Amino acid sequence: MSRPRPLRPLLTLPLLSVLLLTAPLPAQTPKYGGVLVTSPLSATPSLSPHEESTIATVQQASPCFNNLLYFDPARKQESADTLIPELAEKWSWQDSYRNLVFLLRRDVKWHDGKPFTSQDVKYTFDTVRGAPDARAKLKVNPRKLWYENVEAIEAPDPYTVVFRLKHPQPSLLLMLASGYSSVYPAHVPLAELKNRCVGTGPFKLKDNKPGELVEYVRNPDYFVKGRPYLDGIKFVVIRDRSTQIAALQSGQLDVAGSGWNKTNAENARAGAPKLVIVEADSNVNDNVLINFKRAPFTDARVRRAINLALDRKAYLVGPRQGAATFGGALLPKPAGVWGLPAAEVAKLPGMGDPGQQKADARKLLAEAGFGPGNPLKLTVSTRALAIYVDTASWMVDQLQQVGIEATLEQIETGVWHPKMTRLEYQVALNLTGIGIDDPDAQLFENYHCGSQRNFSGYCSEAIDRLMVQQSQTLDPARRLALVNEIDRKLQADGARPILGWAKQYYVRWPAVKNWAVHDNSIYNVSRRQDVWLDK
Amino acid sequence: MATLPAVGVAIPDPRPAARRRPATLARFVRKNPLGAAGGVLMLVLVVAALFADVFATHNPVRTSSRVLVAPGGEFWLGSDNLGRDLYSRVVHGSRISLAVGLASTLLGAVVGGLVGLLSGYVGGKTDLIAQRLMDVMQALPILVLALVLAAALGPSLTNTIVAISVVIAPRAARVVRASVLSIREFAYVESARALGVGHLRIAFRHILPNTFGPFVVLVTAQLGGAILVEAALSFLGLGIPEPYPSWGRMLSIAAAEYAQKAPWLVIYPGLAISLAVFGTNLLGDALRDTLDPRLRGS
Amino acid sequence: MRAYVCQRLLIAGVTLLGMSLLLFVLMRLAPGNITDVIFESAGYVDEADRHRLEAELGVDRPVIVQYTRWLADLGRGDLGKSYRYDLPAWEVIRPRLPVTVELAVLSLVFSVLLGVPTGVISAVRRGRPLDYALRVLSLAGLSMPSFWLGMIVILLLVRSLGLIPSMTYVSPFDDLRANLFQFLLPALAVGYRSSALIMRITRSAMLEVLREDYIRTAWAKGQREGSVVWRHALKNASLPVVTLIGIEFAFLIGGLVVTETVFNLPGVARYLVDAIQFRDYPIVQNLAMLIAVVVVLANLAVDLLYSWLDPRITYGGA
Repeated sequence: MSRPRPLRPLLTLPLLSVLLLTAPLPAQTPKYGGVLVTSPLSATPSLSPHEESTIATVQQASPCFNNLLYFDPARKQESADTLIPELAEKWSWQDSYRNLVFLLRRDVKWHDGKPFTSQDVKYTFDTVRGAPDARAKLKVNPRKLWYENVEAIEAPDPYTVVFRLKHPQPSLLLMLASGYSSVYPAHVPLAELKNRCVGTGPFKLKDNKPGELVEYVRNPDYFVKGRPYLDGIKFVVIRDRSTQIAALQSGQLDVAGSGWNKTNAENARAGAPKLVIVEADSNVNDNVLINFKRAPFTDARVRRAINLALDRKAYLVGPRQGAATFGGALLPKPAGVWGLPAAEVAKLPGMGDPGQQKADARKLLAEAGFGPGNPLKLTVSTRALAIYVDTASWMVDQLQQVGIEATLEQIETGVWHPKMTRLEYQVALNLTGIGIDDPDAQLFENYHCGSQRNFSGYCSEAIDRLMVQQSQTLDPARRLALVNEIDRKLQADGARPILGWAKQYYVRWPAVKNWAVHDNSIYNVSRRQDVWLDK
Repeated sequence: MATLPAVGVAIPDPRPAARRRPATLARFVRKNPLGAAGGVLMLVLVVAALFADVFATHNPVRTSSRVLVAPGGEFWLGSDNLGRDLYSRVVHGSRISLAVGLASTLLGAVVGGLVGLLSGYVGGKTDLIAQRLMDVMQALPILVLALVLAAALGPSLTNTIVAISVVIAPRAARVVRASVLSIREFAYVESARALGVGHLRIAFRHILPNTFGPFVVLVTAQLGGAILVEAALSFLGLGIPEPYPSWGRMLSIAAAEYAQKAPWLVIYPGLAISLAVFGTNLLGDALRDTLDPRLRGS
Repeated sequence: MRAYVCQRLLIAGVTLLGMSLLLFVLMRLAPGNITDVIFESAGYVDEADRHRLEAELGVDRPVIVQYTRWLADLGRGDLGKSYRYDLPAWEVIRPRLPVTVELAVLSLVFSVLLGVPTGVISAVRRGRPLDYALRVLSLAGLSMPSFWLGMIVILLLVRSLGLIPSMTYVSPFDDLRANLFQFLLPALAVGYRSSALIMRITRSAMLEVLREDYIRTAWAKGQREGSVVWRHALKNASLPVVTLIGIEFAFLIGGLVVTETVFNLPGVARYLVDAIQFRDYPIVQNLAMLIAVVVVLANLAVDLLYSWLDPRITYGGA
């Protein structure tokens, strides 16, 4: 007779473990203290977001400032539904999206102790929009275009601000929530703000060594009680990627990854398996500029041939190390809100069978008069930085495979944008980071006739009209349809062929909690007031 | 400017050049085993450069989907982050390094040598001005001057050659001038002048051939330096632009991104540079020993 | 002697003036206006704003005026403003100087510590295997790109040993041990290359001296090799070595540029590369001038030292 099998314990053990594993973990209580050390993308030229256009500035200046409103760090996809109050307690649209009223907090102080009022808001945005009666003038003003639609800004009382618009523009609210739209103190001269940050934010500037280090210390008078958790944040500039990886692995950095690709992230973890990789999409894309105003690129067939020759799948494997998504001019779904449907994206030039597309490219070139006897010669220009040069080398190779004699030209970082603005190139590889996932934030500056940042010289009055129309469209569904129509046309015209939308990677030690990363922007998460260290 | 007579400045033998050539190659090899080794390295470099297409296994600029593959199999030395074959790129890189090194060294040495010849022969004010000019160019360290020049002219093949040759010219001028100064006073030159032979003829027919020895030594000595400066410039992003595979440039991209995962990207291009420069240095040393016994012992 | 000193000073001054002209011209040759650089970081160019900026910066003045203004500023010790950071250049350069100076000094120390003994040994054991081995080793040092050596070292350290010094600069006043640990490797990397040159010079100088008659006489008299070598030979061989250290300085600074980049040290040399990349003209001009001044002064000092130590030198010659 066999002994009775101990069935019950056998069953209860797996049952218990299943219960334990699926039970919700108790939420960890954030701990106070510790200084977070991280490495930004690069050194920032100044700590004044309104005067710069690089994520490096936003990363290193955001802890110091506040906006009127912000995107919720905890929600990965930004949209009009994830806006949270900062300096403004409440806001409302009036008069069919023509007036935007903000009711401000009353308990906010600047880092130097002076009280925050509506005058600061009026001063900031009058300066940024280049109002004729603005008290201050920005030396360089990259986002002036964002506020073109603002007729006037009024501050009827110390805690109310009204933006009066020329036309309805729902997007303005989101633009004010971008990491670039910090509120400046009216009582501090602009020149001082470049290297000495005075804001209302969770952290106060402790030390600024231009080109090397930016260090913050907790603001004890921050208006959000109980924040920030950290005692301080330190941004250490490390130029060399492999040095960044080594520093992270050895624990000298708590978190890093700005500008990293998938291989970097995996390398980092390979050397220190406890590291956690955070992956997300981003609103940064590699795009190709073709000079619409220079022969032979005035010929649409030549432009299309170039576009067809660039095999997007190969781009994914080589330059992007397997980490990118494809789309049109707006960030594709599901990460983005306004992108073209996947089925349409799959049919864009460069997405199809590479053999077929390259053959089509050759045919188009032949029609345009180029062939083995008369090859098209062109120069691919790019910035003289390793990541761009790599991708551009890949481009050169792809073009050579369809018989184009392509060479590479490196343009110094110091003169890239001016050269592009003056259209001193033939074909260029460009990278564009978009402030917020919103059509208004990028369509006008990149595609509008005559815009300073319309580097390809593309011009279509029909598109311009559609752009204005979508900006004033209040119904989201209708607006999406309009935006997609614009996108479709831009892709058909090859206005600025998109190679792909990059994925972003951050690698952190497990002790770093609440390091927010968003799917459809890189610019709007750097406040870092919710980050804490579990040490 | 401090001059160090012990090394680098040759005081040539007034005997006609012909009699001083090493008797046979075999003798050279026997007496200078290290130099012979250097010569072999140089030969390998030159052959690789001339016949790069034969020795390479792949097209050096052709990208592929096989990225960061370890050495072995299809990719003898592995592949880089764009799936390009490292071995083929290293082989083709020899072409660039040698071409740039030789072109810049010869250009600098010839221009500098002419300046030195003129300055040493004519003397007087010309000499003074030329010397000060050379001083100015030597007031900056080699790499810094090359950097500033490359920055001013922009990164391109020709500009890199020009930048490096500007750096070499003053050194060549100094060497040639010194040897001209010592020959100038010799009896046979004086007598030639007394006979009414034109200055130009004296300069080019009598004096120049006697500077040949130190000139050759200078060229081989500077060639290694030129290769290193080009590598440093490309490493810093200011040298040879893509897609020419330059060894220095291969190191900069690799170092920035993939060194830990793919160390072969760092090891082999650097090894190539080191071996090439090592070869030129060995050969240069041996040549100097042979062409001027008085300098032997360095 | 005084005439010699005055002459040398004059030459140094003329050299520096010539260098300033060269730098000024070179920076103006570079493609792109300075205002381009300012707008570059903004990501766009606005023509109206640009004209205003040009007037503000004085870029629209004639070139001669700009040059003389620059020289005048330099004379007053005003190193101008960094266009990129909108700060006085001195404020940006000053914190970086100690780093470069420390690296330079440590590298020089290593190069002498490595180079002189090996040169002596190589000379004394001339023709033997040890001589060949040391010569090959030192030549290898001269042949390697210094940045490559640095990269290999870091790779080895991180991959095999998992050991890395601080990647962020630690001041020697804060933590001497960490600071030395941080500077050890880069100083070795730079020092190894410089030591090769010193070794070669020491060796040839030693050989020259060892051939001298009085050394041979001492040998013949039976004096112990050790005392002969160290007392007579080294003292006389030290002259060219001292001179070389002056020339070394210029050679060294070049190595510093790439080494600071590889080891992430926030020094002046690396900042020069940054400034070149970002077309921060005032910084490039002034830093390059600063380096030229240091090099010229070092050479001047060595020249004077040389002539003072060796009375056989004729003054007034080149």
